[in-house]
Amino acid sequence: MSKHNFAVMARQLTRDYISTKRSHIVGRKTTTVIRALDNVDFEILEGELFALLGPNGAGKTTTVKILCTLLEPTSGQAFVKGFDVVKDSARVRRIVNMVAGGERMLYYRLTGRENLEYFAALYDVPKGEIKSRVNSLLELMGLDDRADDEVEKYSKGMKQRLQVCRGLINNPEVLFLDEPTLGLDVNIAKDLRRFIREKIVEEQGKTVLLTTHYMYEAEELCDRVGFLSKGKLVAVGRSEELKRKAPTGFSMEVLVTRLTDEALEGLKKLEPVKKVLTTAYEGEIEDEKIDRLIVSVDSDLAAPSVLNYLSIMRCRVVSVNIRGPTLEDLFMLYTGE
Amino acid sequence: MFWRIVAAEARKNIKQFFFTTRTVFWTVALPLGNGLYLYFLYLPFAAKSVSLELNASWYTLDLVGFTLIGQLLYTFYTMMLLAGAAFEREREQGTLEAVLLAPANRLAVILGGALASAINYIWFLFGILLSWVAFVAVKIVVNDPLALFTSIALSYLSLVTLGMCFESLFVYSRRGGMYATMLQEPIMFFSGLVFPLQAMPLALLSVSYLIPLTFALTSLRLTLLGGAVLSDVATPLMILALMTLLFFALSTWLIGQAERKAKRKATLTQF
Repeated sequence: MSKHNFAVMARQLTRDYISTKRSHIVGRKTTTVIRALDNVDFEILEGELFALLGPNGAGKTTTVKILCTLLEPTSGQAFVKGFDVVKDSARVRRIVNMVAGGERMLYYRLTGRENLEYFAALYDVPKGEIKSRVNSLLELMGLDDRADDEVEKYSKGMKQRLQVCRGLINNPEVLFLDEPTLGLDVNIAKDLRRFIREKIVEEQGKTVLLTTHYMYEAEELCDRVGFLSKGKLVAVGRSEELKRKAPTGFSMEVLVTRLTDEALEGLKKLEPVKKVLTTAYEGEIEDEKIDRLIVSVDSDLAAPSVLNYLSIMRCRVVSVNIRGPTLEDLFMLYTGE
Repeated sequence: MFWRIVAAEARKNIKQFFFTTRTVFWTVALPLGNGLYLYFLYLPFAAKSVSLELNASWYTLDLVGFTLIGQLLYTFYTMMLLAGAAFEREREQGTLEAVLLAPANRLAVILGGALASAINYIWFLFGILLSWVAFVAVKIVVNDPLALFTSIALSYLSLVTLGMCFESLFVYSRRGGMYATMLQEPIMFFSGLVFPLQAMPLALLSVSYLIPLTFALTSLRLTLLGGAVLSDVATPLMILALMTLLFFALSTWLIGQAERKAKRKATLTQF
């Protein structure tokens, strides 16, 4: 498939950060090269909501900044709607926008409305459309009643909602959301996620690249996810597909009493069992101490043999919970964190 | 689109500057004091006039007027430094990325910023002028209003375009503020702000001729206080016009370079 078939395409994208330091004021310069992105390849389809996941420093923000033309790659290429982000940066800027988490990218001494009108002028929104577009965005994000207050009087959640308005002011075809719910209350973050999914992607058909390190956010929102670790894209695909293929298998959380060392050692050697972790559990039942076992097994079919073994070893099972791998498990698996 | 961005940028900066009504008061009150301070600084010398030479012609100018025009234009020069500083604030408050993310013409953005600075601080000029009218009797000799108007216009334009260069410099280098501050005193000295240029050692005059403030001061002093006509000040005015074009071209080139460098070195958000 060519670059024109994808909303976003990255090929061998690499970015190095070079920092130079002197040991003292007239000392020799030492140069350190930090590879933030290492030959990253991925594609995002039109109208898709794609998440880049990874711990801090994995290269998520660097990827977003390259794609929205704020940073040049050291090597490799990236295309947005078929336009090269380096060679056709002016055209790319017309069709993208970016919303970052935190409280930057807004003028605090201007009102919410003035901020949007200013950015509308920078994006050459037709004069006749500015008023209606600004009003509809403010209304959409529930800021219409505070539109004429200075941004410095806004709460964190309101500032973030205004940032989303700014991100939509040019009606972008591709929207980059870099940790958009960072530091927001649970309810506000939830509302924002719903807005992204329902309004931006499903209703308006925009392509969204989201970076986050909140796994539930990606799980709730995204069509496909990619895991970045130390600048490398280590896995990419639909989350269900990745979970199915994951070598982590299933996890059984078993609460037991009367667990002996002998029983635990035997459990570890049981055929379907891959790994056993014991963790402390606060609580007792009929004056007996409860132990919590996390047993990794290949499939949920292994559960009866584990329970049967514990029963033979005279351990008393209090409760059992079997679950498949979550994105969080995959995150730990792929990023090692 | 270019002028829409210039207007939007100027409006934004003016609005941010005049955030409270107190700002308006202080922007007038402070230079009022500055003007008087300079007057009393020169009072002990008891001189009434100063001689200024241009193209082998000598002009006798009111000393108070001479120093106050120096203060006036220096204030304007500082305004343009502040235009650069306003751009540095964009980096600090994280809005520089949001501005550069837009497809807006960069030249329009920095021109809007420089014009806003010129408008924001024009009250300083009013404050100084007010101090002249209210407290000090300055002997004004204007024989050619067109020459005076051209001097004011070209002084203004050359300093606005210099301000645009400063803005580009502040995107280019994170040490822009330091360079601009370092330049303040040398520019005061070399431009002939507080003494007539003919008193400058010959070897240093070449530096003076690189500074637009030098020619702005000469043309404005001669047309406002010395009764010079357009033909008398044609040379400094032509140099000012050339410098305006040069600074405009330089800022155009510099803002392009600055953005490219910032993208390569990832310095847009570092401060």
